[in-house]
Amino acid sequence: MIWSAFKLSILVVSLATVIVGIAGTALGFLLARREFPGKELCDSLITLPMVLPPTVTGYYLILLLGRRGLVGRYIFDLTGWTVAFTWEAAMIAAGVMALPLMVKSARAALETIDPRYELVSFSLGKGELETFFRVTLPLASRGILAGVVLSFARALGEFGATLMLAGNIRGKTQTMPLAIYEAFISGEDHKAQLLAIILTLASVAVIYLTNVLTRPQKAQ
Amino acid sequence: MLEAAIKKRLGQSSFALDVAFTAGEGITVIFGPSGSGKTTTLRAIAGMVTPDEGKIALDHRVYFDSAAPVDLPMQRRRVGFVFQDYLLFPHLTAIENVLYGIHAPNERARRERALEMLKLVGVDHAAERRPQALSGGEQQRVALARAIGSDPAILLLDEPLSAVDMATRSRLLDEIVELQRKTRIPFLYVTHSPADAVRIGDALLVLSEGNIVQQGKPLEVFNAPLNVPAAQVVGTENILMGRIAEHQAEQGISVVNLEKCRIIIPCTDLPQGARVTLGIRADDIIVSREPITRTSARNLLAGKVKHLLRDGERVELVADCGVDLKVRITPQAAQALELAPGVPIFLLIKASSCHILL
Repeated sequence: MIWSAFKLSILVVSLATVIVGIAGTALGFLLARREFPGKELCDSLITLPMVLPPTVTGYYLILLLGRRGLVGRYIFDLTGWTVAFTWEAAMIAAGVMALPLMVKSARAALETIDPRYELVSFSLGKGELETFFRVTLPLASRGILAGVVLSFARALGEFGATLMLAGNIRGKTQTMPLAIYEAFISGEDHKAQLLAIILTLASVAVIYLTNVLTRPQKAQ
Repeated sequence: MLEAAIKKRLGQSSFALDVAFTAGEGITVIFGPSGSGKTTTLRAIAGMVTPDEGKIALDHRVYFDSAAPVDLPMQRRRVGFVFQDYLLFPHLTAIENVLYGIHAPNERARRERALEMLKLVGVDHAAERRPQALSGGEQQRVALARAIGSDPAILLLDEPLSAVDMATRSRLLDEIVELQRKTRIPFLYVTHSPADAVRIGDALLVLSEGNIVQQGKPLEVFNAPLNVPAAQVVGTENILMGRIAEHQAEQGISVVNLEKCRIIIPCTDLPQGARVTLGIRADDIIVSREPITRTSARNLLAGKVKHLLRDGERVELVADCGVDLKVRITPQAAQALELAPGVPIFLLIKASSCHILL
């Protein structure tokens, strides 16, 4: 049970972090650098899972992605597959819960970069994409990495929304936080303890990493 | 040849830029107080600001034309831009900053050209250093190398020297002139320093409240403003360029040769032959209709009135004495002396009113 929960957590959290890292950076860039109608509404929607009870977020995800959900029904009609109660659901729940942290970190990091660096790059004949990857991203890399680490932590600890959308199926959708709950309920204290220690150590590592990454860089 | 006609309203303010000018090879200085539209003009040419109306073309290559419409993105304009605060990429070394903009067939050719650029501005010794480890002057040199290295068709400099110290500034001015002579592309140089403008400008545009109020050769514009707004912008200082001809230390004077006349100034320790920029305030010059010789004023220049401008309670007179000099007098003096264009006059200037500008 511990081993399978550990493996599933690592898979779900790693994939969610990669996807959230990329999507969150892109969204953070749009919010930091572009003006478009509904920008603040967009920001609010992304932030919502940070303030909503996770079970409510999970509930909305079911309404959206469930077999009869707004989007889910079309997926089901087309493929006969539904995301609910699969490991992918755990990943989506973790990702949605982590996204606000990533977007906020990326937006803050990008907003501190003087946009004139990008103008210099354009004046040197470089396009937007090359400028983003060779100037903007490296300059904001510490803040973005800090966002990735925070997202990883948030995804690792995800419980409520996962339970709603993915359920608690041992070996299939049971991640570590869900396994702790089950171990505790069924009186397997030592298992719960071990899992709690693993998650605590991971959290300490995360705090340490974010502190290192967000520490103001000393000039040479 | 750059041809620019730019109209631009900024935000909700009443400020409106409306300029039209051409700039050929050489250094064209755009001079004006802050808020006069200098930087907006430069940014419109670079493509950082979109004009409301107008046309911008370099050697018949259209950058912007509101009538067509054409609006070439920055990265396709081949416009070099140098900022006041250098903006070297902090995550790259000096040479990597230069390499960033260089297009060449292979890596070796790129490196060679980057090194050549750094040599050109004299910072090849610092090629592997990060910007944080460079002095302000070195950073601006690298920024110049980076801009020139990308092979621009025009170079725009936005107050490039206002953040470096005096001694470095003087050297960099000469280097910028040299760089222009080597690259033979138009440089547009924005500054609010009259001394810099006169020292490096081949042509000068004076901007005031979004309009060009005068253009021409820098010295002529500074010393002979044609209208009241231009006179207000260029200020009350005459600026003269010359060389130290001789020192008479025991007499307490030095002599400066200008193109067509000589000026006596208080003794200086600059070496003979050194280039100097002199400043003489328009209020410090006395106008006389007769030659007065037995006077403590060491400089007596003969000339004639070129034109007179009435600016409130002052009259600004431009006198042609081999060089143009502007003189501020009261309307009463102008009336009593019956001054009018063409009238012969003499100017009296104390040696101590002639100071060296850095």
